[in-house]
Amino acid sequence: MLEDAVAKYRRAIYATNRVDAAKVVDEAFKSGVSAEDIVFNIVIPSINGMLCSISSQPGGASIAQHFIASQIASDIVEQMIPHFKQHPTISGTIVIGTAAGDFHGLGKRIVIGCLKAQMYEVYDLGLNVAPELFVDKAVEHGAQVIGISSLMVHTARGENGCRKVREILKERALEDRIKIIVGGAPYRFDEQLYCQVGADAWADTAMDAGPIMEKLIMEVTS
Amino acid sequence: MNGMERLTAAINGTPADRIPIFCNLIDQGARHLKMSLREYFANGEHIATAQIQMREKYGYDNVWSLLFAGKAAEFFGCSSMVYAADGPPNVGEMVVKSYADIEKLTVPESIYSHPAFAEERKSLQILRQELGGTYPICVYITSSMTMPSLLMGMEKWFPLLLEGPAEPREMLLQKCHELFVKEVAAYRQLGADVLVYSNPFGSTDFVPMSFFNEQSLPWIKKDISAVGKDRMVYYCGSARFNQVIDPVYRATTLGSYYLSPLDDVAEGKRAIDGRALCCGVINDIPMIDWTPQQVREEVKKIIDAGKPGGKFLFGTLVMPLGIPEENIEAMMDAAIEYGSW
Repeated sequence: MLEDAVAKYRRAIYATNRVDAAKVVDEAFKSGVSAEDIVFNIVIPSINGMLCSISSQPGGASIAQHFIASQIASDIVEQMIPHFKQHPTISGTIVIGTAAGDFHGLGKRIVIGCLKAQMYEVYDLGLNVAPELFVDKAVEHGAQVIGISSLMVHTARGENGCRKVREILKERALEDRIKIIVGGAPYRFDEQLYCQVGADAWADTAMDAGPIMEKLIMEVTS
Repeated sequence: MNGMERLTAAINGTPADRIPIFCNLIDQGARHLKMSLREYFANGEHIATAQIQMREKYGYDNVWSLLFAGKAAEFFGCSSMVYAADGPPNVGEMVVKSYADIEKLTVPESIYSHPAFAEERKSLQILRQELGGTYPICVYITSSMTMPSLLMGMEKWFPLLLEGPAEPREMLLQKCHELFVKEVAAYRQLGADVLVYSNPFGSTDFVPMSFFNEQSLPWIKKDISAVGKDRMVYYCGSARFNQVIDPVYRATTLGSYYLSPLDDVAEGKRAIDGRALCCGVINDIPMIDWTPQQVREEVKKIIDAGKPGGKFLFGTLVMPLGIPEENIEAMMDAAIEYGSW
């Protein structure tokens, strides 16, 4: 039953078919599959299955598929949480936004959907976020991770992007408490760039962000 | 030989001294003229002057009239551009904030005489006067399916395109198509030699193959058949498109394909199969940090994969401002050395 639902759900998200994905979940829930199983054994494994990156690799998915899958997953998790027997444990907290000077929000939106589906508490700081605001909001919300998205080379490498956030964390002695993850096209085209700009990690796709977040949070808590 | 002769030879598969080398130095023009990007982009004369001088300095084969991609949003009434000190300007205001705004969008009567086109027109006129017929003048045109992202942001265009109500989506696409047709006419009137048709939605990195076949390809076909394939180049931003070269060629018979740096050049050439010009593109983003030797090796790899059999051009992607001059020189030296026949 569960295996069948997983297969159908995967087909639906690969086909960017929100209606079919919702139908699979609805039918599974009505037939007795628990809300916990729907989230942890159908939705999350399915988006993790999209991990194999972008479509030129066999079995890979496009940005459109990542986008739809993340939005569907986020919506379903939100619907299922009230039906959990126990309130789920939050995996961690992240504040996320685009770097100062960057007005491209698609990648950030996909990441937010995926992380919410994986039980992360996510605070969206929006577009063109000042470095001070990233840090202030991370402190205010007790976030373990700051996520900085950039589509343009100069906003990824610039003095007011990740570099400045790192500098502020250092000045305020917050580096042990708050980690930085970055993502976006410049990091895909230069896989070492995240180190240069002072990030702790980067994620190639939104689907990668969850497992990387998990590692970063472990570093903070340990 | 000059750049135009090299390009013509590459397109026709006839002998030349070397392959054509296209280097897209855009923002560097401001540094070259020692002015801010805002000041630089405000005057088409600056663009033309810098383009002519930088081409002479480095010895590549093309020039650009381009101000910056987001500027096209001004044709639909956008009045806010955000300038940076170290990179291209961004659209600062989305003219489509709700679906109701789509109905209000008006396609300008003429692009040629539109105030938002004045500086690019000036730039093109100077380039044509100074270089006409000797070095290809490139222009950048946003496809019907990509233009909405400049009007409402990709974050909102994606859901409308993929799942949204059909009526506003089709209306927006149609208006962007009408704009596209008028832009191409203006560029051709001004003597542009290479019209780069930019469309990330024509890449399977961006959309699944089913969407490409059902939505992207029909709109590509509609765009190209409305303006004709003459001098048009297929380009998907930095996104890969080797997988769709054959269907795009069959639908449009476009004569040039400007690959993604992440595309396999040899595979791209095989897909083109001698029917069109293949442009192998260097991943210029890490060129900021590479050594000149690394640049040379990368250039060699691309040219080794693409040059055999001809009908090949070596090109760059965005050429970020931070690339040191010695790396631009190393790239040019290597492209000339390995690209010579």
